[in-house]
This record gives sequence, C-alpha cells and structure tokens, in this order.
Amino acid sequence: MNELNYFPLFLSIKVAVLATLTSLAIGIPTAYYLSISKSRIGDIIDSLTNFPVILPPTVLGYYLLVLLGRQSPIGIFLEKNFDIMIVFTPIGAVIAASVVSVPYLIKSAKTSFCEIDSDLLNAGRVLGKNEAYIFLTIIIPLSWRGIIAGITMAFARALGDFGTTLMVAGSIPDKTLTMPIAIYNAMQADDTRTVNLLVAIMTITALSVIFIISRIGKKRKTQNV
Amino acid sequence: MFEVNIRKKLPQLDMNIAFTLKKGVLAILGTSGCGKTMTLKCIAGITNPDSGYISNNGIYLYNSEKKISLNPHKRKVGYVFQNYALFPHMTVYQNISYGLGLFNSSKNNTAVSDIINRVRLNGLEKRYPHQLSGGQQQRCALARTLVTDPEILLLDEPFSAADGHTKHILESELIEIIKSNFHKPVLLVTHNIEEAYRLSDRIMIIEHGTTVQTASKKEIIDHPKTLNAARITGCKNIFPADIISSSGKETIIKCSEMTIRAIGKPPKKNNLHIGVRAHYINILPTETSQPNTYPCRISEVIEGIFSTTVIAECGSNTFRAEISKNAPILDICRKNKKLFIHIPSDKIFFTSE
Repeated sequence: MNELNYFPLFLSIKVAVLATLTSLAIGIPTAYYLSISKSRIGDIIDSLTNFPVILPPTVLGYYLLVLLGRQSPIGIFLEKNFDIMIVFTPIGAVIAASVVSVPYLIKSAKTSFCEIDSDLLNAGRVLGKNEAYIFLTIIIPLSWRGIIAGITMAFARALGDFGTTLMVAGSIPDKTLTMPIAIYNAMQADDTRTVNLLVAIMTITALSVIFIISRIGKKRKTQNV
Repeated sequence: MFEVNIRKKLPQLDMNIAFTLKKGVLAILGTSGCGKTMTLKCIAGITNPDSGYISNNGIYLYNSEKKISLNPHKRKVGYVFQNYALFPHMTVYQNISYGLGLFNSSKNNTAVSDIINRVRLNGLEKRYPHQLSGGQQQRCALARTLVTDPEILLLDEPFSAADGHTKHILESELIEIIKSNFHKPVLLVTHNIEEAYRLSDRIMIIEHGTTVQTASKKEIIDHPKTLNAARITGCKNIFPADIISSSGKETIIKCSEMTIRAIGKPPKKNNLHIGVRAHYINILPTETSQPNTYPCRISEVIEGIFSTTVIAECGSNTFRAEISKNAPILDICRKNKKLFIHIPSDKIFFTSE
C-alpha cells in the first residue's frame, strides 16, 4: 500500500488560484472595454473570448503549443531573455487553465457591467470624477455579485481542466501532474482505491472553495441591498 | 451669462437649440422626445452636439469651431437626473460627499453636514437611497450636486415620479431650497406648463428639437409664437383664421363663418391661426352690444374640481370655456342650451405653424 501523493492536489489548487487571478487581471478590463465599446473591434474581441469555450480542449491546447512552444517567436523570446519555458512546466499549466477559465469571468462581469444604469456613471462624471475613479467606486461595487459568480465559474473551470493542461503542460509526476490527470492515470492503472480517494478530495475541495466564494458574495450583498 | 447655441442630428430629430440665461430659473418646455433631456446632456458634456457652442460667463464648455469640449468632470455643472441616479450602494452621507472625494479633510465634512442640514436630511445620513421617500431621494440628489458648488444647475423632470398630492409639496420644498442655497442659473426641464409657470422666471419652448420661443412666462402665455407652443402652453381654443382687414390696432378676421375683432397686429405668415385661452371666454345669458358676442349652442358641461368646462358650438367652431364653479351662469348652461358666447378682443393672440 503506497502512501497517497498529495502533490497533484496542491498543484491543482495553486494552478487554479493563479489562473483565477490571471483571469481577473485580464478579464475585468476586457469585460469593461466590451461593456462600453460600440466598435467593430469590440465585437471581434467579444467573439474571440468565446473561442476557448467552443473549441475542443485539445485543439485549444494545440494552438497554445503553436503560440507559446519552444519554436514559436514568443517561446524563443522568453527562453532567451528570461530563461522561462512554458511548455511542460507549471507556468504552462497556469496559462492553459487561465485561457479556459477567462471567458466565464469576462461574460459574467460584462453582463453585470452592462446592467448598471448609465445615469449613475453620468452622475459620477458630472460630479467631477474621472473614469478610473468611477470604475472603482461605482462599477465594481455594483457588479460585485456578477464578478463573484464569474470568479466561481472561472475557478471551477481552472481546477477541473484536463485536456488543455495535458497538451500544454503534460503530466510529469511531481512537476505538472494535476488532479484531473492524476485521476485519469490512476484509472488507467486500475487503482480504484486511489481514484475514489482523489475524486472525493477533488469534490470536497471544489465544493468548499465555491462555498467560501459565494459566502463572500453574500456578505457584500447584504451590505449593498 | 449662460449661452447655448447648438445643433445635433439624431435619428428621429434635428436639434437646433439656442438660448441665453442671465440668472434665475429657465424652464425648458416641450413634449416628450423633443430633445429636452438631450439638451441638458449636451450642456453637462455627457454627450456632444455636432456643432455650435456652450459658454458660461465667457468660458467655453463646448465650441465646435475652436475645438473645445471640456470633459463633464471639468464643466462644473450640477445635474439632478430624472430618476435622481443616487448610488444605491452608498449611504446618504456617502452619496452627498461623493463629489468631494473620499479622502478629503474635515473641511469637507463640515460642508457635507451643512448641506445635509439645509436639505433637511439630518438623521438620515446612514440610510441607503432605497430607504428614503421620493422627496428625500430628490433632496439627497440635490444636495449631492449643490455641495460641489456648480456654476449652473440642471433639473431633469424633477417631479415626474411624484403623484399629484406630493408633487406640490415637493415643488415648494425644492424651489425654496434652491432659492435659498443657489444663486446661479437653473435650467428646469418639464413637459408640464403649470409646473413651468410656477417654478420658473422664463420659459423656452422646444418643438421637434428646435427652440421656437424663449420669453418671460407671461409673454409665453399671452403670445405663444407657434401652434404647438399654443397647444403645449394649454391653449384649448385655436382656429385657422383669414384676415379681412388690419388697421392700426384692430384686426378683423374670419374663422369659418364667424367674423372676429382682435386687438393687435397679425404676423405676416402663412397658415395664420388665432387662439384664446379657455378661462377668458365668457358665456352670457343674453345678447349684449359688446363686440365678438355670438349666439352659441351649449353641447356639454364638464365638471372639474376647481372649475367647470363648458363646450359651446358656434356654427362649425367649437369653443371650450373654463368657468369658475360658483358662477351663476353655470346653472343657466345646464338648463338652457341656446346662449351667447363672448370673446374679449384683447385676449386673442395670433399664431402660425
């Protein structure tokens, strides 16, 4: 009876947290831009953000390999100047998870940004405030619930990603092996006990994180009305 | 001196607004969708006109020729939105201090408490907007903008949400607060002539996006320039008219088969109409020697709360006369259908398309 290896669990949580933070950093500004943009470019970006959702994970993973692999311009640049490699590293796992989860955040945040009464923003402008100040003091607090929902979805998606992560980061034990892949490996090895254990841990982890995030959202909600 | 002279093309509307305002309250009167709110938005810089200029005391807020267009946050315009646009996630205090900035010194705190006292919201500082009554919300919105010391105040249909009973209370409250706390120009957008007349010093009438008349409220009521201006200011009796003769002070006109004398000179315009307000028309029991007295048939007597409307037909012209409730003529109108109508010749005004 071998000891259960917890590395995939911690890696998965780490990757999911980092991917969610990356999604926030990219997703919130994008969602804001999409909510105010009336241009053709906005429409194109809006369609592009749906790509990771509609493409098969393996196809998406392949595109990421082409874009960021060691032979690609970006890959060569990163390796030469910063000694950073993306493919088959935890960074690759974070990037893969971010790409698959960011559309959920953008969609959710954009919807709540669009729902804000434009007169509230106009009121802020007429009261002498610039766009950044209005964004932080009016738009973010009023769309808090939508953002929380987006974070929840993005985190869940990042935690569970299989195909794209496998394509970009591989499944190197104790390096890039995440929970979903570890479950698959155990299944292949006919190790039912490990599969059951890992599935249970994964379910509990996912449920508790989602619960905590929605609690935070609720707290804000009672303050806000 | 506040000056506006702007043009803007909208899908439904070609806007062409021009007026000046030295001080006091100017009511912008027009039907819904005529460009009233758009005018305010252009002044506040929320949207821009296509061309023209907006200036306040010689400083351009917008000038298409000089390519000036200040950002809304630099225009020093106070705007009370139609639905008040209070920030729902902030308390009364936070709403009112919003324009001053979050990290300001205690000096601002006294400014905020001061304005809260003036608009009588003391004790409600910690409430959220949805916990306030309509009137309190409105005062909160007013305080929020007054505390930033604007150079001009814009009020967009401030009483459209209030019902008849509270409306009068809100009106007098608002005007009292404004008169005692704000001594710069005020623009009030409304579609209600009564409201405009009660609250303003001057009235501008907008028709399909275009300024048709800007004048003192008395002038607007006595001599509305266009047919629509006459209608929107509540004139019930408007008839197409042909001039028979015009000499000196008196003009003789023909409306269908009626020959009417009017004091004043008609404008030299096509499609001439005459108008006379319902409360100037008299119903008489017997014929008199006064000019402009005609036999008429009373077709309807409509009871109102404060006055009664009598509908009288003279041939093909139908007149509406508003008569005070306790006038003895009303009893006669109810019993006797064949009476006389008198139109005072000095109360007739000329207007055209």
